[in-house]
Amino acid sequence: MTSARRRGIWGVLAGLVVLGLGVTLAAGMRSASGGTAPAGGPVTQVRDEPAPPLRGRTLTGATFDLAGLRGKVVLVNVWASWCDPCRAELPALAAAQRRWSADGLVVAGIDFRDNAESATGLLAALGVGDMPSIADPQGAAAVAWGARGVPETFLVDRTGRVRAWAQGAVDASWLEQRVPPLVTS
Amino acid sequence: MRIRQHPLALLAVALLLVTAGTALWRSAAPRQENASTIAAQLLCPACQGESVAQSQSPMAAAMRDTIAQQLAAGRSPGQVRQWFVDRYGPGILADPPYGGLGILLWLLPAAAAAVLLLLLLRALRRRAPAGSRAPDDAATPNPDAGEPAVVEPTVTQPVASDRPEAAPAGARPLRARRTWDAVAVGVVALVGAVALAAPHTRAADAKTGDATQTTSTSTLLDLARSLEGQGRYPEAAQVYREVVQEQPDDDRTRLRLALTLLRSQQPAEAARAAQQVLDHTPGNTEALLMLGLAQRATGSARATATLRKFLAAAPDDPAATEVRRLLDSKS
Repeated sequence: MTSARRRGIWGVLAGLVVLGLGVTLAAGMRSASGGTAPAGGPVTQVRDEPAPPLRGRTLTGATFDLAGLRGKVVLVNVWASWCDPCRAELPALAAAQRRWSADGLVVAGIDFRDNAESATGLLAALGVGDMPSIADPQGAAAVAWGARGVPETFLVDRTGRVRAWAQGAVDASWLEQRVPPLVTS
Repeated sequence: MRIRQHPLALLAVALLLVTAGTALWRSAAPRQENASTIAAQLLCPACQGESVAQSQSPMAAAMRDTIAQQLAAGRSPGQVRQWFVDRYGPGILADPPYGGLGILLWLLPAAAAAVLLLLLLRALRRRAPAGSRAPDDAATPNPDAGEPAVVEPTVTQPVASDRPEAAPAGARPLRARRTWDAVAVGVVALVGAVALAAPHTRAADAKTGDATQTTSTSTLLDLARSLEGQGRYPEAAQVYREVVQEQPDDDRTRLRLALTLLRSQQPAEAARAAQQVLDHTPGNTEALLMLGLAQRATGSARATATLRKFLAAAPDDPAATEVRRLLDSKS
């Protein structure tokens, strides 16, 4: 084998190694960057998986069970009164409830590691005292739903499957984009 | 080089092998697992580079409680880990299993080391019979490759047997230069490949991308601390407010905000910030102290009760003496 040919083979091999490294690094960066985020909105991931169970006592003492809401579209919102973005998004969620409740939308909260008094006070102050919100003082329900922080919102369709997951505060335009396709289906 | 001529090197290699073997054996031995060792194996999803055991965030606290509950319910450590992987993906594990493209990260360094070793062995083999044989490259000169003519006469000259490394002396600088050129081109190509293949959504995600957010947050925190250092408390408080707005579960910054607000004569807002921390971590003594001081500054009657609660919860806190003095002077 001539030295030129041998050098050529080494060159090709080195090129392949460089390419492999590049692809690995790029793939790592891509998988780390995660879901899509329109400017200013929450990071949203489209999902299609069965919703975890959600049952317990609400802040007002009523019992709540997500399984009993099969046939309805449910917005599950993980929030807390100590979280400022949550306070900011609650009115939008309440407006969504009012707007689409006749079409079968239910907004349910998971009140994450919160003081029940502060939480009910906030809901009353915002005029959304009727929003059922499970008291989750230890955060077990939020963890079971795979929440990574507050606020987070899961959109569950009529068959009980999670169809979208938003990390960060949702707003009217997010709801306008995601809710109608599910309530009209 | 004969190995027998270097007993020290042999000893060192043997020692290294024994140590490595012991380390492997020890790490493979089964260990007692409990809630905190499992928490240490899970990454906090709300933080950067902290385990669930280390993180102070409410989400990590919730996960620690969940681990304890599940173990108490009779689940095995493996089942608990799998439960978290089902919900958060394999990325939740601090030490994820190998597989997919990730395996390249383990294979490539090993392959690179093997290639280096091979080259080293080849170089050593060539040196050993120096003088008896000219290097391969020089033995078959190739005019097509554009080999500079100056290489040939140098390497084909007879070589003194006591200085074997003089043999390819003329060729080596040139070859070394070429090797370095190739390495440089390789590095540039690697950077280029990553830049081209990496996702371009990062810039668009600047507001929500975790990495970007963390960077800007740490910059903001630096700025706030610097403002505090200059005694510009209202401005520092404004910066802390922004950070807390972005990361509502960051207790440490919220308490820093409370302290800065106290210093800038805004005790009512300071009390609110401290109360928010207490809402989800009722046992936080620093928040109790901050709330008590803020209540005292607003003239609230509840200040004494809050500060006494702080003293009861943290009698050895460095601030306790000062708080006792405050309470005594009042009564």
